[in-house]
Amino acid sequence: MDTQKSHIENDTFLAQWLEGKLLDNELKELVSESDYTKYLKIRRGLEVLDAFNAPTDSTFTKIQQKIKSKNNKVIPLQYKPWLLAIAASIVLFFGLFSIFDTNQVAFETGYGEFKTIALLDGSEVILNSKSSLSYNEKQWESNKTVELNGEAFFKVKKGSDFTVTTSNGILKVLGTQFNVQSHKDLFEITCYEGKVSVLSKSETFILLPANTLRRINGNAIEAWNTEFNNPTWLNGESSFKSVPVEYVISALEAQYQVKINSQNIDTSIIYTGSFTHNNLETALQTVFKSLQIQYIEKENRKIDLVRNE
Amino acid sequence: MSKPTNICESKTFESIYNTYIKDLRRFIFYKTQETDITEDIVQDTFIKLWDNCSKVTYEKVKSYLFTVANNSFLNIKKHEKVVRKHQQTLTNPKTNESPEFVLLEKEFMEKLETTIAELPLKQKEVFLMNRIEKKTYKDIAEALNISVKAVEKRMHTALVFLREKIGDI
Repeated sequence: MDTQKSHIENDTFLAQWLEGKLLDNELKELVSESDYTKYLKIRRGLEVLDAFNAPTDSTFTKIQQKIKSKNNKVIPLQYKPWLLAIAASIVLFFGLFSIFDTNQVAFETGYGEFKTIALLDGSEVILNSKSSLSYNEKQWESNKTVELNGEAFFKVKKGSDFTVTTSNGILKVLGTQFNVQSHKDLFEITCYEGKVSVLSKSETFILLPANTLRRINGNAIEAWNTEFNNPTWLNGESSFKSVPVEYVISALEAQYQVKINSQNIDTSIIYTGSFTHNNLETALQTVFKSLQIQYIEKENRKIDLVRNE
Repeated sequence: MSKPTNICESKTFESIYNTYIKDLRRFIFYKTQETDITEDIVQDTFIKLWDNCSKVTYEKVKSYLFTVANNSFLNIKKHEKVVRKHQQTLTNPKTNESPEFVLLEKEFMEKLETTIAELPLKQKEVFLMNRIEKKTYKDIAEALNISVKAVEKRMHTALVFLREKIGDI
């Protein structure tokens, strides 16, 4: 044994042990039990100090790579100066508007919200989510006109001459119930009672009860008859009849305050069906399962769509 | 009024990283006792800060980082507990810790660092060349123009010095 350990010298063995040339169990025989555990602790402590003092730039590079590979960073709204500028000018604009024309009345709904509005003549409007409606109070008697952006169901009191203007066309009615949807380039009107006249792209149409009229993206008018007595969204369901799925996606976004990324699918595929307003999961399932599209909630309120392979 | 510092700017983010990385690393190490897990937690914490850069104010960055890191640590612990429980139902209970596992407390590490700083000059020189510059005893001997044996002696004495000064923390 002595010959085996001839390389051990009393004044250097710790150096050799730290270097790994002397094994732990060999050290154990050279020092006391408490010294042995303490030296092990010191050696581990030294290794950890190395880790503490290790350069930090490699870690930073890794962090940056991970951030890049995620690449779905939401651009924060709050700190974009130009957005602030836009917000400020909108505030200013409406501020001025309210100074010069205090008679403009406006209503707006948020995500997944309805609003029932009673108009001055006793007519009633139910505003669907993410929609807005405004009218001029002062001129109401001479000019019963409301401006609509989004979707609304109107119950106009009999005897009232009434006009609804949208970016897609103008409706004139005389005591009826009807639903108007005007989202970007989608324009859809359903008449439930009475008679509605629609002026769209200098064409005039007359709708009778159960008639539905639609124009998408400036294409030719489509017309059919609805089987419902009320718009389905009043009962907590949005229904669609042969619409490009992009409008269904917009409606889902408006209803549930989600962001849906449809980059990877063909948004012109046609969808017929409905989705519920109570449960996002069920709604997504009903719409996208039937279309063979997978949806993945990547992070909170952000959904990615992928075609099923 | 001065403009609030924006964390979403990559320069600010980097300077925050450089300010807190070392403290955060230590803070988490004392909890995990594992350098690898510490590295993971630290990386995830800064990524989270970046993801939420618009919601965290510059003044709150420090507490945000430490809270997020601490929560990730607690989550890992919770997960380990579940795993261990599961393993115990399958096999005989055993400790995950190796027999040589030693807990490195904050006090110990601080004492170790200060004691290294207190090493007598000649020992310190050799010790740091070995530990920090990662030089072999032979390289050190050549650099200082002394024998390998002399280097080893200094290393040995340095370790004895550490052992004695640190005592029984």
